[in-house]
Amino acid sequence: MSDLSFWLVQALHGLQYSMLLFLLSVGLTVIFGLLHFVNLAHGALYALGAYISFSLTNWTGSFWAGFFGAPLGVALVGISLYLGLIRQMRKAGPMNQVLVTFGLIFIFLDLCRILWGDIALGVEQPEIFSKTVEFLGVTYPSYRLFVIALGLAVMGGLHLVLSRTQIGAMIRAGVDNDQMAACLGINVEQLFFFVFCVGCALAGIAGAVAAPILSVSPEMGTSILIPTLIVVVIGGLGSLPGAILGSLLVGFIQTIGAVVAPQLASILVYALLAGVLILKPSGLLPARS
Amino acid sequence: MFQQTPLKLATLALIILGLLLYAILGGYFARELVIEVAVLAILAMSLDMVAGYGGMVSLCHGAIFGLGAYMYAIVNVLGEGSPISGTLAALAVSGLFGLLVGAITSRTHGIYFIMTTLAFGQMAYVLIFDASSLGGDDGMWGLGRGDLSGLGINLEDSLQFAILCLLCVPLSYAVLSGVLRSGFGRSLVGIRENEGRMRALGITIWKIKAIGFALSGTVAGLAGVLAAQHTMFVSPELMTWTVSGEVLVVVILGGLGTLIGPAVGAVLLIFLKHALSSFTDYWHIVIGVLLILVVMSGGRGVYGGLELFWERRRNSLNKQEV
Amino acid sequence: MMKQWKRWILPAAAGALITAPAQAQDVKAGLLLPYVGVYAALGNEIERGFSLALEEAGVSNRISVVREDTEVKPPVGLAKARKLALQDEVDVIVGIVSSGVLGAVRDFVDGAKVPLIVANAGNDDATGSRCSRYVIRVSFSNSQVNRPMGQWMYNQGIRKVYTLAPDYAAGRQMINTFTESFKAAGGQIAGADFTPFQKTKDFGPYLTKAKATNPDAVFVFYAGGEAISFVKQYSSLGIKDSVPLYGSGFLTSSLYVNAEGPAAEGVITSLHYVPTLDTPENRSFVAAYRAKHEKNPSEYAVQGYDAGRLLAEAVKSGATTREALAQALPQVSYTGPRGSLRIDPATNNVVQNIYIYETVAGSDGLTQKVVGVMPDVQDAPNGCKL
Repeated sequence: MSDLSFWLVQALHGLQYSMLLFLLSVGLTVIFGLLHFVNLAHGALYALGAYISFSLTNWTGSFWAGFFGAPLGVALVGISLYLGLIRQMRKAGPMNQVLVTFGLIFIFLDLCRILWGDIALGVEQPEIFSKTVEFLGVTYPSYRLFVIALGLAVMGGLHLVLSRTQIGAMIRAGVDNDQMAACLGINVEQLFFFVFCVGCALAGIAGAVAAPILSVSPEMGTSILIPTLIVVVIGGLGSLPGAILGSLLVGFIQTIGAVVAPQLASILVYALLAGVLILKPSGLLPARS
Repeated sequence: MFQQTPLKLATLALIILGLLLYAILGGYFARELVIEVAVLAILAMSLDMVAGYGGMVSLCHGAIFGLGAYMYAIVNVLGEGSPISGTLAALAVSGLFGLLVGAITSRTHGIYFIMTTLAFGQMAYVLIFDASSLGGDDGMWGLGRGDLSGLGINLEDSLQFAILCLLCVPLSYAVLSGVLRSGFGRSLVGIRENEGRMRALGITIWKIKAIGFALSGTVAGLAGVLAAQHTMFVSPELMTWTVSGEVLVVVILGGLGTLIGPAVGAVLLIFLKHALSSFTDYWHIVIGVLLILVVMSGGRGVYGGLELFWERRRNSLNKQEV
Repeated sequence: MMKQWKRWILPAAAGALITAPAQAQDVKAGLLLPYVGVYAALGNEIERGFSLALEEAGVSNRISVVREDTEVKPPVGLAKARKLALQDEVDVIVGIVSSGVLGAVRDFVDGAKVPLIVANAGNDDATGSRCSRYVIRVSFSNSQVNRPMGQWMYNQGIRKVYTLAPDYAAGRQMINTFTESFKAAGGQIAGADFTPFQKTKDFGPYLTKAKATNPDAVFVFYAGGEAISFVKQYSSLGIKDSVPLYGSGFLTSSLYVNAEGPAAEGVITSLHYVPTLDTPENRSFVAAYRAKHEKNPSEYAVQGYDAGRLLAEAVKSGATTREALAQALPQVSYTGPRGSLRIDPATNNVVQNIYIYETVAGSDGLTQKVVGVMPDVQDAPNGCKL
């Protein structure tokens, strides 16, 4: 393998991991940007998405049932969470939100253990993406290319919705100043509810997409939470470009770190986080300047 | 603003006496539990000083606690130093780490502050985890407990060690409340209330924050030393971020910004966990529900709720007298 | 779904039954296992095997069991060990999954003179430089499982190997043992990486790096969730087609190999037990285990079983006190599910066969085909003086 194709494959690894992080962090960051709500249970929703997709895939024999069912299922859970808990907690300050959602992590962790057991599970790749493809002199798994494409599609879709549609304009107005938006006649409550559901559905999709690459275990939500938070905070809470930049930074630093300096791989991301926050205490691309 | 009240002192005395009785009358495991409660109470009170009064919600107190334990182990095992020198070194290192984190993070607020402390805590954890000279993830063993035989105290005995740990709780409380009542403590609370106004008054914000964090870290280090002497073993698990999260849970359960509340929370969490785990392996779910209920019911915590009830009652009594 | 609910209720109920105080029994055993956290599944498997052995030996009424959860946290494990020894006054402690917990507990049981039957934790030091006459290991040691693979792989014509493992003590011990034995056989190590433990999601960067060195084979140690992700990614990245995958047998443990799916087919690993061993002892063990739990026993279940069997045999021989048990336990030897099994008097580590097996497709899911046996593998004392 020539040097160039080696680095091309590594770049694809980095991009693939970045997209996975992006799918997770974008929901978290948009919810924060609009609702000012810190949802630590976002990782748990991702795990739930992976488990739902596992069950649906096993039940129907098709990966796509899980792929489309997981976001729906997680969004439904999100709706009940919103109506039962989150709505009341919106004005309670970040500290209380962190704690309530910390409690949710505990609950989801044990619920997953009760429903699906302690043993890690696996989901097979869909048939059409089970092979590798060759291009530019490298061979790469088509499923990973699918993940990259999906990430880019969600990125583009969100960008279009936010910049070109009425609901996007309403969200942007809400992020800027929700009270002013309400005065302009925007139904902010409905908007919050909608955005929260979309954020949850995105976590569900991330879980469904990650399941065939990783394993499905009760701890997967807790272990992805920290990298996701790092992405969101580096980029700047509430900012879509921030989530994109943050996930690319974290994804590539981990991948390149693993190749060049494996002994530093586990500390690099934390160093990046600390460095960014010391120099730019509200992230690289904050939602509001 | 920190206020020393009879209710706080009475609660402290009640906790200490209750645990003391439990340790003396209870079996061996009772003493283990009492030691665990004491260590967690000290750690949680140290966190409450910065989180409840200084507005700095730290997610690296687990790491500071673990650093204290490790420093004690390093001096005691690798350096073959005495428990006293180990303790002093541990307090110094945890204090210094706190000073460093406090100074560097002084410009960040809210969730950004939480995340920065998390980053520093995780960096310390990863460094210790990867340090093969410190045993890596296997940890270090063969630690000794302090030697107080000159005073006729044998710390190898679990009851006497439990009493020592219990005595460290009011000691830590005295130190922390002393700091909070001083002029320095008022500045710390003032910064939480209104950073801009304090700056206008000519106070160097980062210095106050850093020193506050250092003092809190030193007390957290004391908890680490006790934990290390208790288990005579240290491992990186002491330093993971979930330990910090658990301490935060304890602070909230008991009552943020009450100083004694976290000690109440420590008693609750340890005994609840023990009671629950004896009949189900799924006790996390109960703790989770409890945590949500406490926060939803106003977030004052158990002690905070008690204090509110007490004050209302007193106020209504006063009114009747008038 | 119904079955899952049963899984939840039953252990809780069983736990309540098992911890109920029993009277007039000869021996009290403390079961010290993780029931929450990443190793909860292992704890449950070990307990099932342990209970089966006691029933089968007909000593369930003579041995009462107290169950405690280590939560995979060394300080918790130590506190529970102290509770078992000092408050419940058990005669023997059985269990311990993680080496971290074993490291924390070792000095205590040694000082308190309570025999400990280790049913999983494989740290070499526990029966090496830190051995104790009170610590008897019936599971395996990290080097025992991996040492035979060096020579065996060399004999298959493999000359150049790339190694990968999680970056923690067990990972390093397993890989170092393999590396030494493979080099001693005449092989060459193309490169090695240790991946951040339980933090690595994507093994792609490491695997692409490994492939670039053009090795004859890749040898790895991963377990649990990491094993599932690793095996699947190894296959989906297309590396498996050109470079065969070898490893420590936990990589394709029967406990979770079906979650790996077709990706695990053809992977060759070494382990002290596979459920498909064709011996009368193993057939009857598998049948008894299947009758109760409707699935094959994993190596963890057999470790629990042998821990129980060791205890049962020692009790039957008349040992009921701590000191007598510490004497009698290492004397026990028998031919069990894993083949002949005895305790090495020099180290208190188990002496057992190591099986090299290939994961192959079977009639219902993946199964194990034994391709080589190293009989009676024994560790050198490594500084142990008993």
